[in-house]
Amino acid sequence: MLKTPGWEMMIVWYFFLGGIAGGAYFTAAIADNFGGARDRQVARAGYVLSLPLVMACGVLLIADLGVPTRFLNMLRVLKFWDPMSIGAWVVGAFGMFSFVSSVLSFSTSARTDALRRKIGLVGIFFGFFLASYTGVLLSSSAQPFWSEARLMGALFLASGASTGMAAISLILFLTGASAGEGWGKVKKADRYSMVFELCVLAIFLALLGSAATPLTSGHFAPLFWGGLVGVGLIVPLLLDLVGHRVKTLAALSALLVLAGGFVLRYVVLMSIQS
Amino acid sequence: MARTLAMFTDTSLCIGCRACQVACKQWNELGMEVPEWTGTYQNHEHFTDKTFRLVRFIEEPKPTGDLAWLLMSDVCKHCAQAGCLDACPTGAIYRTEYGTVNISQDVCNGCRYCVSSCPFGVVAFNESTGTATKCTFCNDRIHNGLGPACAKACPTESIQFGFRDDLVAKAQKRVETLKAMGFKDAQLYGADAKGFLGGLNAFFLLLSRPGTYHLPENPKLPQRNVVVDSLLSIGSALIVGLGALLAFRDRGKGRDDA
Ligand code: SF4
Ligand code: SF4
Repeated sequence: MLKTPGWEMMIVWYFFLGGIAGGAYFTAAIADNFGGARDRQVARAGYVLSLPLVMACGVLLIADLGVPTRFLNMLRVLKFWDPMSIGAWVVGAFGMFSFVSSVLSFSTSARTDALRRKIGLVGIFFGFFLASYTGVLLSSSAQPFWSEARLMGALFLASGASTGMAAISLILFLTGASAGEGWGKVKKADRYSMVFELCVLAIFLALLGSAATPLTSGHFAPLFWGGLVGVGLIVPLLLDLVGHRVKTLAALSALLVLAGGFVLRYVVLMSIQS
Repeated sequence: MARTLAMFTDTSLCIGCRACQVACKQWNELGMEVPEWTGTYQNHEHFTDKTFRLVRFIEEPKPTGDLAWLLMSDVCKHCAQAGCLDACPTGAIYRTEYGTVNISQDVCNGCRYCVSSCPFGVVAFNESTGTATKCTFCNDRIHNGLGPACAKACPTESIQFGFRDDLVAKAQKRVETLKAMGFKDAQLYGADAKGFLGGLNAFFLLLSRPGTYHLPENPKLPQRNVVVDSLLSIGSALIVGLGALLAFRDRGKGRDDA
């Protein structure tokens, strides 16, 4: 006679946007530190994108509590073994990294560039955390399926990467910056992430076995197989394969990846709560 | 810490009068429920923000073909290892010096993580206050030398209140007596401090398997997964990071095979 928490659309959006924010940031920081000068657009797009997203995350989290000021109650304590508790702190810390990196991404001096890279190296960890802790949060609850999904955090992280990278490539496309080398690299990184996400998803399902039925059969199955696995991962990979020199196709594939990332959070949260 | 207090609910003595349920409502000022047809005598079915004690009416088929009544007054188990308490990010859920588990209404922020983390589905969200609620073990009463309202009201002593060690000893004797009387499935649920969740401070004597009473056979602490799942997430981060590193690695001018 378990009870579900009633985490609905606001939390679906939070998980989705938090994943993109984390993914975009760590992609930016990696491009910034290990890429060449010409990957600078990728770094800037990723840093700057993560800022409004993490702000939206904060608003969604606070709004879901009903009484906004009660958010402060989370800051009374820090429980290291509690994903909800560290999560609240990390959203704040990530926000600060995101802000500083965004501002510094407009720098013109070599010294501030170096500073931004160093800050990015630390921020990477907060980005990874933000993209994955929501999965661990679900898997350390008492709910069936969630609590049996050992790879929920790993899967959310892979999805945060693929959607974060897709979002960066879309921004480059829309701002006309897709001519540079950076666009090709971020698309390539996105393909790696998608392939990895498919692998994680396969192991995730295999480990779950019959516990995965809320996803794999029943009401949410068409959305899961069609929306996430098909439209959200396999189709974009194929599009990239056949048309990776055609920019519009590549942009379309990024859009589908984003849709798939949303579907993932939606089916995971809603399949046992409705 | 003071000696641990407990409630022992002996379902073999329950007559289903719901005096406990009513006494709990009276003392804790809980509102009325809207009836809910479930196809059985159980009406209504779940713990809510208005029901902290809930009598379960279960009809179990007997080998002879007719039905046997199993009655059980259910409540928050005040687990020694409490999923709700570990989940709470505000510290609103705390353990009292008597070993009971309580929610400070003025600290709770309404995140509902505890609702999803109780292995028994006890914690309920109160929509009007926006906070999580459950049995308080009559915190105000036990701190003033009174027993919990439910235990006080029970006319058959199906609900007993006292020090945990005393009650466990009593409960063990009672199981033996019942077994000798022919109740071969009589068993304690949550009495063993070395058993699941470190033992329950509200434990039960059941006449049938826990599942018959909608209790999990082997409840587990949800937080047992945090470490493993975090490590797997870190592994995932390493692979993703490596992929991005390979894609972005600067291989000098003139090569763009992306
Ligand atoms: S039964 Fe549930 S609500 Fe009660 S202490 Fe245990 S975990 Fe918390
Ligand atoms: S809903 Fe309240 S009591 Fe429950 S975990 Fe959140 S803050 Fe704690």
